[in-house]
Formats: sequence, structure tokens, C-alpha cells
Amino acid sequence: MKPRTGIVVAGRVLLGAGLVGLWTLAHRLLGDQFVAGLDDIAARLWEIGASGVLVRDIGVTLLEAGIGMVVGGAAGFALPFLIARVPGLEVALRPFIAAAMGVPKLALAPLLILWFGIGLLSKVVFVALVVFFLLFFSTLAGIRSADGRLLAVARVLGLHELMLLREVMLPTTLPFVFASLKVALPRAISAAVVAEFVAADTGLGSYIQNAMSQADTVGVFTGVIVVTVVVVVVNAVLDRTQKRAMSWRHSAIGGF
Amino acid sequence: MLKPVSDIAPDRAEPLLEVRDLARTFGARDGRAAGLNVIEGLSLAVTEGEFVTVAGPSGSGKSTLLNMIAQTDRPTAGTIRLRGKTIMDASTSTLTPGWHCQIGYVTQEDNLLPWRRLEENILLPLRAQRRLDDAARARAAALIDTAGLAGFERFYPHELSGGMRKRASLVRTLAYDPPVILMDEPFGALDAQTRTELHADLLRLWSLRRKTIIFVTHDITEAIALGDRVLVLSRAPARVIDEFRVDLPRPRDIDGLIAAPGFARLYESIRQALARQAPRRA
Repeated sequence: MKPRTGIVVAGRVLLGAGLVGLWTLAHRLLGDQFVAGLDDIAARLWEIGASGVLVRDIGVTLLEAGIGMVVGGAAGFALPFLIARVPGLEVALRPFIAAAMGVPKLALAPLLILWFGIGLLSKVVFVALVVFFLLFFSTLAGIRSADGRLLAVARVLGLHELMLLREVMLPTTLPFVFASLKVALPRAISAAVVAEFVAADTGLGSYIQNAMSQADTVGVFTGVIVVTVVVVVVNAVLDRTQKRAMSWRHSAIGGF
Repeated sequence: MLKPVSDIAPDRAEPLLEVRDLARTFGARDGRAAGLNVIEGLSLAVTEGEFVTVAGPSGSGKSTLLNMIAQTDRPTAGTIRLRGKTIMDASTSTLTPGWHCQIGYVTQEDNLLPWRRLEENILLPLRAQRRLDDAARARAAALIDTAGLAGFERFYPHELSGGMRKRASLVRTLAYDPPVILMDEPFGALDAQTRTELHADLLRLWSLRRKTIIFVTHDITEAIALGDRVLVLSRAPARVIDEFRVDLPRPRDIDGLIAAPGFARLYESIRQALARQAPRRA
């Protein structure tokens, strides 16, 4: 049974008010240095919004995360299909992929800066690396989950390889891909921010890093809040896309 | 009415589909010392337009038999011939499922694509075979109508009842018109009422175009109700141990079948043939 909308809205308002109250309390108790006041953060947002810094930094970080997401995501999605076509290849590659996944990606950030400079490229490579493995393993799991009987019957019905891919394999992997995108998109943005911590002159990460180095608590909090809002918005867009792509699950009659 | 086939004059018609000395052994694994012989020395022949039912105890390799004829599985030994041409033997290196759309296969599960609407599912094989023209669409629409699915074309499979999904799966295969159709207990998981309805539907659909059908079941009534001939399989390793001709007139009244003259005797003979296959207990 669905809870009534009124109760949901009231609950959310109450919870939001509680959080604001807790924040204010923490600010009063601990002081400006540790917890920035909400009024100061609002003022800072207004300031960087007016000066154009906010839009520029969001743009830079989203661009890095976006390109890295597309490149790493496309590779992580396509490669399992290629591997699945060659029997035994997956087994042969498995230890190498496991090892590559075991490398702590965050620790690679300085190295990537060294190789690809402090500009866009190093961040894109970093984001792509993080995203690639997430997509790779869930797509592989999706391919393995394919119903062998359904595939056999589809072949009997005369479906060729390309149609099997489009009619059976892609829809089978789609829920897996979206599940991993839900993890990968926030990770992509975090990865871009972390790469900017290491070395950058623009972007939300560099904004936070600068504020930190100047003991500007308000700046750090403002940066973190902006990153959070960006992630929430991106997730909402993804949710809508998923509902559309898998509409067959949500049809009006007898749907679930 | 009822005679073992050996007493009847041999059929002189050239068989459309012929299975000779088929064997299937599943490999030794999971601590099983030797391989498992599911089918051994199984032979059968089906003439064009014939509706043959195959009755056997459960676990007697009925599905395995159909899988090999449909080429979704490979025999260990034996030959399968279609119109006198060998389409599968032990030397065949690659499987050709459905043998170029000549052999249709209606499986136990409906195996509809959950993400495609009913009509898209039914037209899928025609589209895959590039045969989706106006005539094909019209024929599919007529089949949908005969199967009582009209009005549900835009529904997704999960919105339909089990019986409707079975009908859709049946219509999907009938619509692209393969000369041979294999059916593996397609109505197994349904309630008795729906089964009877589907038997009547199947016979009505079959009477439109007399396809050659091999229908596998463990239900004796179903085997008699549908078939021209009932083959009885032995317990594993399976082979054909008996054969009964069903001389009940067509079109058959499925509901009144049990009262039909000769039905009880035929039922009893097949039951005894199957009972002889009951597992021996130590």
C-alpha cells in the first residue's frame, strides 16, 4: 500500500527542519571554525553565484565527470559483450581484471597528474578508470544472467546474432547497467572532485581545496553542499531515464 | 479401434522427419562415476501432416529428445533426417537451432520476451526471417483471433494469464509456419479447465493447416486427445517401446472424449504400457 502523499510531505518537512536545527545547534556549540553557519553559507553561495565562480566550477567538474563517465562507461559496457563472444577469454582475463580492480584508484591520482598534466585530461582518465570497473563487472553479471532457454528458443525462431543482441541481451543487461550507473554517476563526480584536490586551478574540488588551505570553513562547507546538490540532481535525471528505458516493467495494467 | 501398429499395414509414405538410433549421454560429473544414459537407440518416424504424441514417464528424456531434434542439444550418437536429408548426426560440428526455421519448438515455459508486447512477440520470428509483409501480418492477426487473443495485442506478457501466454507462444510458432513443430508439455503448468480449452484451441489451429507435430507429454488423456498416433517411451535410457494408433474421428470433441467409444480401452492399454516402466524397487 502506498503511503498518503500528505504524510510523506509532512514527514520530509519535519525531518528537514530537524536537520537544520541540529546543524544550527552544532554551529552554536562548536563555533565558526568547525561548523559554518547556514547564513554564512547562503551568503557565500550568493557571492560566488553572482561572480560566476559557482557556474564555472560546476561546469568544469561536470565536464570532467561527464567525459570520463562516457568514455569509461562505454568501454566498461562494451568490453563484456566482446569478451563473452570468445569462449575462455573471460576466464583467461579474470585474474588480470581482479588485480586491476584491486589497485586503489585514489592512489593513482598523483601519478595520473604526472602523466597527463593538471588540466582536463588527467581528471577524465581518472574518472574513466573508476567508472570502467563498475560498469564492466555489472554488465558481465548481466550477460551471465541471460536465460539460456530464452536464447535457445530465440535462435530456433530464426534470430541472428545482431537481433539476439538487441532483442535479448541488451534488455537482459539493462537493469544491471542502470543499477551500476546509480553507483557510478555519484562516484564519477566524486572522482573528478578528488582529482581536483590533487592539482587543479578550477572546479569544485579545487574550490574546496583552496578554501581548506586558507582555513575558510564556510568555503569548504559551501563546496561540499554544492557537490551534494549536483549529485542529487544528476541522480534524479538518471531515475527518469531509467523509468523510460524500462517502461515495460511499469505499465498501467497489472504492473509492479 | 485399437491395435498395436505392427498389426497394421506399414505406412508407405516417405517420412518427413526420421530419428534413427538416437542416443544422448550426459557427462560424468558431480561425483557421478559414469555418464548418464538418458536416451539410447531411440528411433521414430513422422509423416507429413501427422500429429504424433509421445508419452513417457517423467525423467524419461522427452525434453532431451525434442532438444536434439530442434538442435538446441547434440546427440551422442544417431541420425536425424528431414525429408530424407541428414540434418544432424554425431559428426555434425555446429548446431543449427530450428534448422533454418524448418523446425518450430514450443517449450514448457512460454519463453516470450518480457520486454515486448504480445503482438511484437508473435511477429518477432517473421521479422527476424525478413518475412513480415502484409500477408504475414494478416495471417498472424487471424491466428491471434482464433486463439482468443484479439484485443490483447498491446499487452506485455506479465499482464497476461498463464493460459494466454501459452496461446501466444503457440501462435508465435504457428505464425511463421515451420513444416515441423515440436511441443514439450506446453500446457503442463495449467489448471485442468484451461488445459482442456487449450487442447481445443490447439486442435482448431492445427486443423487450419495440418502441420506435422511431435507433442511430448506424460498425460495419457492429453496424448490420446491430440494425437493420430501415441508413442510410448521407456524409462531412461529412453527408446520407443510401444505405439498406438488413435482412430478417434476428427474434429474431436475434447470435452466428450472420455465418453467416446474406444477411449477407455486405448487409455488402459497405454497406461499398462507405461506401468510396465514403473521403477523397479529393491
